[in-house]
Amino acid sequence: MTEQGIGQTRRNDGLTERRHASRLRAVHIPSLVVSSPRATRHTDVVSKTDVQSIPETFDEQSTDVDHPWVVIVWNDPINLMSYVTFVLQKVFGYDRDKATKLMLDVHHKGRAVVSSGTRERSELDVYRLHEHGLWATMQRDDV
Amino acid sequence: MGRKDVLWQEADGFHLAMRSDDRRVVVDLITQLRDAVLAGTGDDRFRRLFPAAYHQDAELDEEYQRLMHGELLASRLDSLNRTNELLVRDEEADVIVLTEDELDSLMKSVNDLRLVLGTLLDIQENEPAIEEDDPAFPQYHLYSYLGWLLEWIIRVRW
Repeated sequence: MTEQGIGQTRRNDGLTERRHASRLRAVHIPSLVVSSPRATRHTDVVSKTDVQSIPETFDEQSTDVDHPWVVIVWNDPINLMSYVTFVLQKVFGYDRDKATKLMLDVHHKGRAVVSSGTRERSELDVYRLHEHGLWATMQRDDV
Repeated sequence: MGRKDVLWQEADGFHLAMRSDDRRVVVDLITQLRDAVLAGTGDDRFRRLFPAAYHQDAELDEEYQRLMHGELLASRLDSLNRTNELLVRDEEADVIVLTEDELDSLMKSVNDLRLVLGTLLDIQENEPAIEEDDPAFPQYHLYSYLGWLLEWIIRVRW
């Protein structure tokens, strides 16, 4: 994750500025070519070892037999830290402190368990996180 | 927040001070994204918009995608369409007024555009600054602008 998403240009783009830097120019999506070797599919970068070593960051009963599935949010370089915090508050109703702690776990540890529950409930959670553009997956808690 | 801000709340809704020229650029990008997504979502450019749910189990993920992909696509298109409408309705106005639902659509659409642009630009954490004479400057500049706008949206809703 990143802070503010600014810094890609040398302009002063701080929030204190009423106007963003110089006028925007039209950008054509098809004109950009995706050929970077750094671009990998999410499923390619998750190994079984990674999954087995996922730290327990969700402090509720994620190992309870009634909650056999966990939802994981993964770190990514595009989403803003503030946005991830806001989405966790909005989707799960967490207070800002809890959402911030989970966001920081994602940022520093690479991932965090953000909810646990039945398979159906976890699918709904994943869907709502995807709807907001977060990189979320789910898995059985006993893997 | 005072009137010198970019986005603030008043009794009649959220006021967004956004140059009409900038709104046109964002609308153009939304139109491109909408058309491209309608043409197909399997493109690698859109992998962040339609990620896997079961990263460990291809079979379960296939089942999930069969049930949920269409709904996710419809949700994304709905936000893009709503955002398109709100950005063009007072074309020459310096300030446009949005409902909370419209602000939510704008937030999701701005983030979707960031995800696609960020994927195309292969954005990494701690991305170095880019000079204005770099051929990719317009793309980075737009990406930066969208992050700045998103931060304002989050701030006004907190």
